[in-house]
Amino acid sequence: MAVAHHQAREPTALPTRPVHRDGAWLLLPSSFPEDHIASEPRIKKLEPVLLPGEIVVNEVNFVRKCIATDTSQYDLWGKLVCTNFKISFITDDPMPLQKFHYKNLLLGEHDVPLTCIEQIVTVNDTKRKQKVLGPNQKLKFNPTELIIYCKDFRIVRFRFDEAGPESAKKVCLAIAHYSQPTDLQLLFAFEYVGEIYHHPAKKVNGIDPGGGGGGGGSASGQQTPLFETYSDWDREIKRTGASEWRVCSVNEGYMISTCLPEYFVVPSSLADQDLKLYSYSFIGRRMPLWSWNHPNGSALVRMANIKDVLQQRRIDQRICNAITRSHPLRSDVYKSDLDKCLPNIQEIQAAHIKLKQLCVNEPFEETEEKWLSSLENTHWLEYIRSFLKHSAELVYMMECKHVSVILQEEEGRDLSCLTASLIQIMLDPYFRTIVGFQSLIQKEWVMAGYQFLDRCNHLKRSDKESPLFLMFLDCVWQLLEQYPAAFEFSEVYLTILYDSARISLFGTFLFNCPHQRVKESTEFAISKNIQLGDEKGLRFPCVWDWSLQFTSRDRLLFHNPLYIGKSAPCVHNGAVKSFKRSKKNYSSTLRGVPPALKNGIISEQEFLPRRNSLILKLKPDFLQQTESQSNSMEQYFRDWFAKPVDLHGVILPRISGTQIKLWKLCYFRWVPEAQINHGGFITAFHKVSLLADEVDTLNRNLRQHKSNSSVQGNCSELDQSRMYFRARHLNDTSEAPDFLSSSFPFSPVGNLCRRSILGTPLSKFLSGAKIWLSTETLANED
Amino acid sequence: MASSSAPKYNSNYLDSSPGKRTLKDGTNWEQNEEIPRLPGETRVTDKDVIYMCPFNGPVKGRVYITNYRLYLRSVENDPVVILNVPLGVISRIEKMGGASSRGENSYGLDITCKDMRNLRFALKQEGHSRRDIFEVLTKYAFPQSHNLLFFAFANEEKFSENGWMVYNPMSEYRRQGLPNERWRVTFINEHYGLCDTYPSLLVVPYNATDDDLKKVAAFRSRNRIPVLSWIHPETQAVIMRCSQPLVGMSGKRNKDDERYLDIIREANGQISKLTIYDARPNVNAVANKATGGGYESEDAYPNAELFFLDIHNIHVMRESLKKLKDIVYPNVEESHWLSSLESTHWLEHIKLVLTGAIQVADKVSSGRSSVVVHCSDGWDRTAQLTSLAMLMLDSYYRTVEGFEVLVQKEWISFGHKFASRIGHGDKNHADADRSPIFLQFIDCVWQMSKQFPTAFEFNEQFLITILDHLYSCRFGTFLYNSEFLREKEKVTEKTLSLWSLINSEKSKYTNPFYTKELNRALYPVASMRHLELWVNYYIRWNPRIRQQPNPVEQRYMELLALRDDYMRRLEELQITNNSKISNSSASSASPSQMMSHVQTHF
Repeated sequence: MAVAHHQAREPTALPTRPVHRDGAWLLLPSSFPEDHIASEPRIKKLEPVLLPGEIVVNEVNFVRKCIATDTSQYDLWGKLVCTNFKISFITDDPMPLQKFHYKNLLLGEHDVPLTCIEQIVTVNDTKRKQKVLGPNQKLKFNPTELIIYCKDFRIVRFRFDEAGPESAKKVCLAIAHYSQPTDLQLLFAFEYVGEIYHHPAKKVNGIDPGGGGGGGGSASGQQTPLFETYSDWDREIKRTGASEWRVCSVNEGYMISTCLPEYFVVPSSLADQDLKLYSYSFIGRRMPLWSWNHPNGSALVRMANIKDVLQQRRIDQRICNAITRSHPLRSDVYKSDLDKCLPNIQEIQAAHIKLKQLCVNEPFEETEEKWLSSLENTHWLEYIRSFLKHSAELVYMMECKHVSVILQEEEGRDLSCLTASLIQIMLDPYFRTIVGFQSLIQKEWVMAGYQFLDRCNHLKRSDKESPLFLMFLDCVWQLLEQYPAAFEFSEVYLTILYDSARISLFGTFLFNCPHQRVKESTEFAISKNIQLGDEKGLRFPCVWDWSLQFTSRDRLLFHNPLYIGKSAPCVHNGAVKSFKRSKKNYSSTLRGVPPALKNGIISEQEFLPRRNSLILKLKPDFLQQTESQSNSMEQYFRDWFAKPVDLHGVILPRISGTQIKLWKLCYFRWVPEAQINHGGFITAFHKVSLLADEVDTLNRNLRQHKSNSSVQGNCSELDQSRMYFRARHLNDTSEAPDFLSSSFPFSPVGNLCRRSILGTPLSKFLSGAKIWLSTETLANED
Repeated sequence: MASSSAPKYNSNYLDSSPGKRTLKDGTNWEQNEEIPRLPGETRVTDKDVIYMCPFNGPVKGRVYITNYRLYLRSVENDPVVILNVPLGVISRIEKMGGASSRGENSYGLDITCKDMRNLRFALKQEGHSRRDIFEVLTKYAFPQSHNLLFFAFANEEKFSENGWMVYNPMSEYRRQGLPNERWRVTFINEHYGLCDTYPSLLVVPYNATDDDLKKVAAFRSRNRIPVLSWIHPETQAVIMRCSQPLVGMSGKRNKDDERYLDIIREANGQISKLTIYDARPNVNAVANKATGGGYESEDAYPNAELFFLDIHNIHVMRESLKKLKDIVYPNVEESHWLSSLESTHWLEHIKLVLTGAIQVADKVSSGRSSVVVHCSDGWDRTAQLTSLAMLMLDSYYRTVEGFEVLVQKEWISFGHKFASRIGHGDKNHADADRSPIFLQFIDCVWQMSKQFPTAFEFNEQFLITILDHLYSCRFGTFLYNSEFLREKEKVTEKTLSLWSLINSEKSKYTNPFYTKELNRALYPVASMRHLELWVNYYIRWNPRIRQQPNPVEQRYMELLALRDDYMRRLEELQITNNSKISNSSASSASPSQMMSHVQTHF
């Protein structure tokens, strides 16, 4: 299986090797057969694999990619190419020391997408100069070395000792220029889509990139709802039983707000006319958006601040009353001001920079001594904790207090995305499936106007960068770690999803809001003479179309072998039972619970909205308002944790300091020193996969026996497996494959190369800068 | 989902079966049928108390004291609060408050335990109500200080397995391929005449005579000469253990010792230098010269290279654990959890021990060089290093039985001073000899099992059970400081082995993910990035932190049950199908044949 990814390489292909030069011989791997070196180098062209619309901008030959920190014996020789999509290192040398390579169909083994580049450092050894390259900058020296710092914590290093000095310089400048575009339409995705529209026959990996939600990794091939249409929202209303809510089309054509989706859901009692009127009072005209309904009727709503002070009270009250009217119990509304109780985006960005600094810092040993306190000082885990904690408290409000919750935030498109998503993952098992999770990201991030363009900083000019999406994935990982059988997807899936946000091909993570896609791509289409017809803007490939990136076999790694699907059988007290989602096990509370919560905090009188009551005034510190309130919440959590977990019901995070952990796969996968060979959770994952595969096979056999279907049909169905690791026979107790490690399916080999520069360890070099990878020049040219 | 029962506030890892109850016991005992008793366990007293539970506040209950345990049962709470504490875990009993103390529940007893918890009981102030319970507890918790025997000598439990049979030094050496033409077994210490803290059976170089050994013993602290712990089946490189050489301030030399180490080097036909790992920090090794000890100098041992492994002494480790307890019991220090944890240095010490063991293992395996490991006396850090290196190199020690052999061999038989380090039955709680060295070793093993979830046959429960009985005094396994003393006390005749308990219920202690593999050296990553606090051990008393049973393991067990169920049903179906359509051969394949349809990518 590992072999499948190891292309057999011809040892005769040596053109990139500067064998004609003195000294270069020594750099060849010792295992290399000598006769090949002696023979006349046969020039075999090393060409990059290009996508439609992708062009080579610049290239340089005889480049050495550094593999190890302390020796050059493993270095690879090849050509370094800069395209408008990626930097590509093309070599015929096999990757040394690496036992496994997880192949992305869009990228070669040594490729880095331009949007994944964080910083470019050029070095000249002999002149003892270093420079961080910004766009449109000049370079007064010929670089002998190029170091690429990637947003995914990788560090790639190339040496130009044997390359033409001018070409090397040009490539460096090209990379600096193309990786830091100033205009959205310069991102590769536009070029690509333009090419596809001009030449519809061109398809990547045989699949129409214009497709919608894609089946993703889901075994059922189910489409991910994108929430671009009326019907997706309508289905979500029906799925959650939100009968007092309706899809509103006032924003069709983005007539009201350019940062809201065209369709969204509002209380049935609010008329379009009123909504239009109210919208003026909200920042960005972002009126309240419904997210989800609890089976007990409580709704989750997100809302921007009301900027119009005079109207504030009135509008707020109208909205709250409308939400109350949409609650079957006419329950109260609880408002949570996220800006007040959660870290802000700048703090999160600062934490991320510190985390990155810590994880890639060098030398490894130096960060060891103070590792724990340094980790604490990043505040990353602390912020993870506050998001989980706050979301859990709001879960309590909906689940236990039966009140609708409004997430309020200045613009309602940052912290709200994260909080709304987490609440739904905790409450609704549908969002713990692959399709459900993807639809959640569509609903709460893409459609709700999370500013992927700015927050991911695809254009490298924004001071608005903040890794909220990563923090969300990390929070989900914490839940996955605590409830490994509750999720259909694996941590590999989450990691890959994080990586995919930095490939500028997918429209999903490219824009600040849906309208921006329409606007920008229409402009682009006009400039390129593309006929759009009825379409609203160009359709970009969707990230959920995972077949664009991975083979169907490799996508199996997205599946969590521990997952107990809603129809998956499970053994309970010795008897095999089937899980079926019913309202009963879905939630402990049902509709029809009497509104009187006599032991609760809010007295019945307060609980029911009174005329002219100012709910806003009553609420802000609702959670902390009285001691008994927080006691009852604590009691709820204590009781919940005392009971066995129903994986198809609510799951709540454990948030004590000992239980929030660092997501090692995501942050350590490129650090060779942190890799546990033959170990890590993956070895248990492997073991579970074999057994789960066996169980699946037996289950299929059983079904076939019962249905007496034909033998031919049997075989095809038997071939379907949802496991990446499959059992060879019954009771397969074979050893784990040799290539498993704690970094699997990633490999740190060669992705990181941090030998000291100019006699100074790179860490010193970096800590000279105020923040990691600041854009300031570290060592100025003369 | 398999359900876990609602947590009671005890964690009764110690007893699985309620003992027999005799009718002759007092009335109080009869009312409480669920009070567990072991055969040989007798009641001493009982009393109404208030248990000052740090998690749930005061709990009214009745406490029962036997010659083995303290057992508390709440009278009003639902669910019932239970405490079940073997008296062996008690380190210290203090009276709190006086007859005139004011305030509710201010008069009673404070009990400090060796297993990371404290217990506090409040009693009625009138009539010296705590006097007798204090005396009884003190007497039975510290039998050594009262000329009483450990409970292990009264224990009449019966087990299907005899744990004393697990370790036979001769068969263990044979398993390693010893003796061979270069290594011999010597009986020189049969009556502990050469060294009273070593086992009777020793493996030494073939070319060293018993006379040589005696001369070497004179130059090694407490006569603990270098002897073989483990031999690499392929490289023939060995791990030797010993105590420090008696170099002293004057830098004494001993020709016999120097020659002996050279014989060791030559025994695997090795041309390169012999590697000596001194577990101590360099300064400590130098400081030991003042008390007559020291380390092998380059001048005296030109064919050896010496490395210091920087592992601190027993006092540092004791203080570190004390600090750890401060931040996890009763409440977990939440506001600065990671930096608080760092300030205990506990994980840092774990890291140093593991790093040292990795170096030893790597030298023997990749470096193909024999190594000598010592610290000062060679019974604390040395035992940690040799046993962990052996665990990394030899997959046998990663099985339940193999691990028992490892503990029995490297720790028990080679004189780790369990009695002094744990203070079994001794009231002197502040004894400077006490130190959690063995706990630290088990923690290292746990860290390895976290990094390699499929490599160990045993599970976390196995390790926790070992630690529980390290203190409980229910078994003879960890009693006394040396094999010599254990023989004198006839421990194997008069007490039971902990391995009897474990091996009789092996399934409880096995890791479902275990995949047997032979001869693969396992090197954990001894980095703070991977080392974790063992929450399920150190913070297990806290009901809010204590984790559920491992969900991955739980799910795996469910899948196993599911597989068995499907196989059974398939077979049933096939039998009925076969009887229906006897001429159809295609549909009558057995489950295992059906599996052959599955294409695999391996």
